[in-house]
Order: sequence, then C-alpha cells, then structure tokens
Amino acid sequence: MSGGMSDFDVIVVGAGPAGSSAAIKLASSGSNVLLVERADPPGSKAVSGGILWGKELEKVVPDWEKVTPLERFIEYKSTAFLTEESKVSVDFRTKKFEKSKTGYSVLRAKLDQFLAQKAKAAGATLVTGITVDSLSMKDGIVNGVVQDGETVTANTVILAEGTNPRVAIEAGLRKPLSDLDSAIGIKEVVKLSENTINERFNLKGNAGYAGEFVLGFLEGGVRAGGFMYTNKDSLSVGVVISLPHLRENGKTYAYDIMEKFMQHPYVSPLVEGGQVQEYSAHLVSEGGVNSMPDLYGDGYMIAGDSAGFTFSNGMVIQGMNYAIASGVLAAETAIEAIKKKEFTRGALSSYQSKLERSQVLMDLRKFRGIDRLVWSRLVHETAPEMLENILFGIFYEDGSPKKHLANTILQGISGSNMKKSELIMETYRMLRRM
Amino acid sequence: MQVEEKLALLNYKTDPAYAHITIDESICETCPDHFCTFGCPAKCYTIIDGRINFKYEDCVECGTCVIACAHGSVKWTNPKGGQGIKYKFG
Repeated sequence: MSGGMSDFDVIVVGAGPAGSSAAIKLASSGSNVLLVERADPPGSKAVSGGILWGKELEKVVPDWEKVTPLERFIEYKSTAFLTEESKVSVDFRTKKFEKSKTGYSVLRAKLDQFLAQKAKAAGATLVTGITVDSLSMKDGIVNGVVQDGETVTANTVILAEGTNPRVAIEAGLRKPLSDLDSAIGIKEVVKLSENTINERFNLKGNAGYAGEFVLGFLEGGVRAGGFMYTNKDSLSVGVVISLPHLRENGKTYAYDIMEKFMQHPYVSPLVEGGQVQEYSAHLVSEGGVNSMPDLYGDGYMIAGDSAGFTFSNGMVIQGMNYAIASGVLAAETAIEAIKKKEFTRGALSSYQSKLERSQVLMDLRKFRGIDRLVWSRLVHETAPEMLENILFGIFYEDGSPKKHLANTILQGISGSNMKKSELIMETYRMLRRM
Repeated sequence: MQVEEKLALLNYKTDPAYAHITIDESICETCPDHFCTFGCPAKCYTIIDGRINFKYEDCVECGTCVIACAHGSVKWTNPKGGQGIKYKFG
C-alpha cells in the first residue's frame, strides 16, 4: 500500500490532548492531516480529572507555559482519608514547585479548543461537529473513516477518541468496556472568587491546590475517591466511583455519592457560598496494561485514554500527560511510515516500542494491577477508620493517665475491621506495589 | 442540591431525530437489578410504575450505562455531529 492515492496522509479521530498533539506534530512536519472532532467546539464534551502533570506539552507547543490556557500551577498537594466525622491527611506544599512546576489545573473546554486551534495553525485540516461512524477497511487494512455514508481515506488513522472509544469498539479493535477497566467520574465546577480561593486554601497569586480523597464514610461496601482542584476562580470538585462495588451494593445512586462528598463537614466549608457552574460526568480508564488493546495494526494506531493510558496510585491521577506523550509518539511513527510509504502492522510496530521506552508504558507496566490496590478494602474500609481512631486516641485528653504512643497505635490496629495478620500483609503488598 | 437542579445548569443541543442510546425494553422488563438507574450520573434511567423509563435528552455522554447494563439492553452510539452535551468548562 502506498501513499498518494488517499485523501490524507493521516486522519486523527478526536481532538483531545492525544489527538491534537498528534495532529500538531504531524502538520508541523508537513504531513497532510485531518483532525476530526465530534464536539463543536473541541473540548465541549470533555471532562478532566483536573491536573495536567508534567511538561509533555512542550513537545508540541514549545512556549506552552506562556500561551496555554492553564488555571493554576500546583504548589499544594494533599491526600486525605475522610470518615463521617474526620479527615486524616498528608499535606505537601513547597516553594520548589514555583520554580520547578510539576503540574497545572486545567479546564478542558479551554485547553482542547486551544490545542485544536494550534493543530489548525500548524496546517492540519480541522473539522468539528462531525461524528465518525466507523472505520473504512479494505482487505482488513484500515484506510479511512466513514461519516454519514461518506468515506474519507488516509494511509493511517490515529484513534484518540477518549475513554469511551465507540469507533475502536465497533471496529473490534478494542474490547467493549467493562467494570474492571472503567470507573464513573462525576465533577462539579464551583465558582468562587480568586480571593476567596486564595484565602480558603492559603494560596498566593497563581499557586494552586490539588487534593485527592478516600471517601471512607460511604456505606454498604461502596468505594469511591474524591478530588478537589483550584482553578483561577473556580474549584473542580469530583468523585471517582468503582463500578464493581457500586454494582454489588445495588442500592446507591452514583449522583448521590457526589452530593455526599460536597456535604462532608471538611469539604462543604471549602465550597460554601460557591455557585455550581457545571455538573459533568465521564468514564475514567482504570485497567492499565491489563485491559490495554493492541495499540496498532494495519493502518491504525490507538492513543490516549482510548488505549487506557491513565495512572492512579490514589495520590495522583494522571492521564492527560500520557495522552499527549502517546499522541506525539503515534505521530512520529506515522511520519516514519509516510517516509517509507509503508503503513502495515509491521511498519507501525515501532509505535509500541517507542511507548515501551517512554514513561507511558514504563509507568503502566511497573504499576500493573495498582488499581486493585487503590480500590482495596484496606484503603477504603480499614485505613480511614483505623487512622481516625489512632489519632483520636493520641490527641484526645480526658485527664486520665496517658498511654504509651505504641499502645494507642496497637489498640487502633487491633480495633480495626481487619485481622492484624491480614492488615500487615495488605499493607506490605500495597507498599511494594507503590 | 438535587441532581435535577445540577442537570438544569447544562447546555444541550438535542437531536430530536436521533436517540444515540436505545434500550431493549423486553430485556429491561425481566431485569433483576436495574443497575442503570444507580450508575447513570444524569438520571436518564428511572423506574415509573415498575418499568424502566429512559430519556436520552439529559445524557452527558459518559458511557456508564453501557457498562452498567450487564444484560445487553443498552446500545450506545455517539450523537450525530455536534449534538448532545455542550460543556462550557469541562
């Protein structure tokens, strides 16, 4: 199969961080690329977990920190266990993040539109408000996309559809989604003035806060995490709910978990007086390499969330950085293929090897199976209550003679809802995985 | 805040001619769990008089229901070009 006869060198399906990064890279190298997005404008169907970690954007937008619509840089990071009446948290904040930025809060309606326009400026053909119905195949080789019965052809198609990749699923390139590779994400954007946010979170200027929570107060075996990020003049507050546990419980509504989080005694004062501007929901990819599809084949590659490139260890949730990185690597592979005029599975296989050498697959392979630990009973049902009891024991003064610290801790451990031996094993397993 | 009030904040460009999600009511009739009603964050699935009532108009296109339904009733497609949910913040 050789180029020249197709309408485009490459068609990219989806103008999110993965797709637009791929399109910028391709167009900048002189390739003839079509970027198709079903939302109009781009980003108007996207929901982010909130933080763009790392510096991946530098690869496609060299002066990205100056020109990208970023909200606040993360200076204050927190991980907390919530019980009905308590909060146990580890807070980390450092001025070092002012000089060495580790991540920014973002809102996707702005970010995705910006990146799609960058792709257009670089020379990509951007079409929005167009839903790709299916892939066009010839002799088992992907050679374009079909929309409303019309086929547009390309030598390579990069699928960057996000967490619910209908085109890839319909074409059989990805297994249908299941409980094990997806969680339900629900988010609210709450408007607060810049000053109020700075006061409530003890921030200055453009510094921001990113908090992750274990919702240890949920009942009936329901497990969910929470997050709260500061934007310039709003908060992104949300929950990520485990589907298998919600299913097993069978009587809790996902949207009620969101509201319960908002009303927690140590969450509600932070959002108080704020006006909810938007309610949104999105699936969160969970399975990592365990549910990863074939990343490439004859005439196609899969990038970003569509490939399951997200990472969470409970302390950070990452995805947009992997999306950008994989989009760039897919573009680089396509550029090589265009030079060689070969678009077979073999020609595109270097996409996989590039990913294996990059942070994307190194992280996902190293932390394989971590999602099972993030959702474990230890984290969601045992640790929150146990930590609450231990700390209450340490800090509660009732005038009776003090116990040794070790005794208070041991008492907290033996009073927990998990057997001591099991607890030690689970904790050990957890630490090893992390 | 009720979820209905939250959903009322959203903008949609509803496609009156095309329901991007369809359900097979004959399957829903014998469904033992109705987990779609618990999973869907946009309350598109409710039970009225013991039967599943589904409306695609409030759908935020998350994809939860197609996973939530373990009985194969839900058929999920993307809305046609540019229609459906339109977030301002994302």
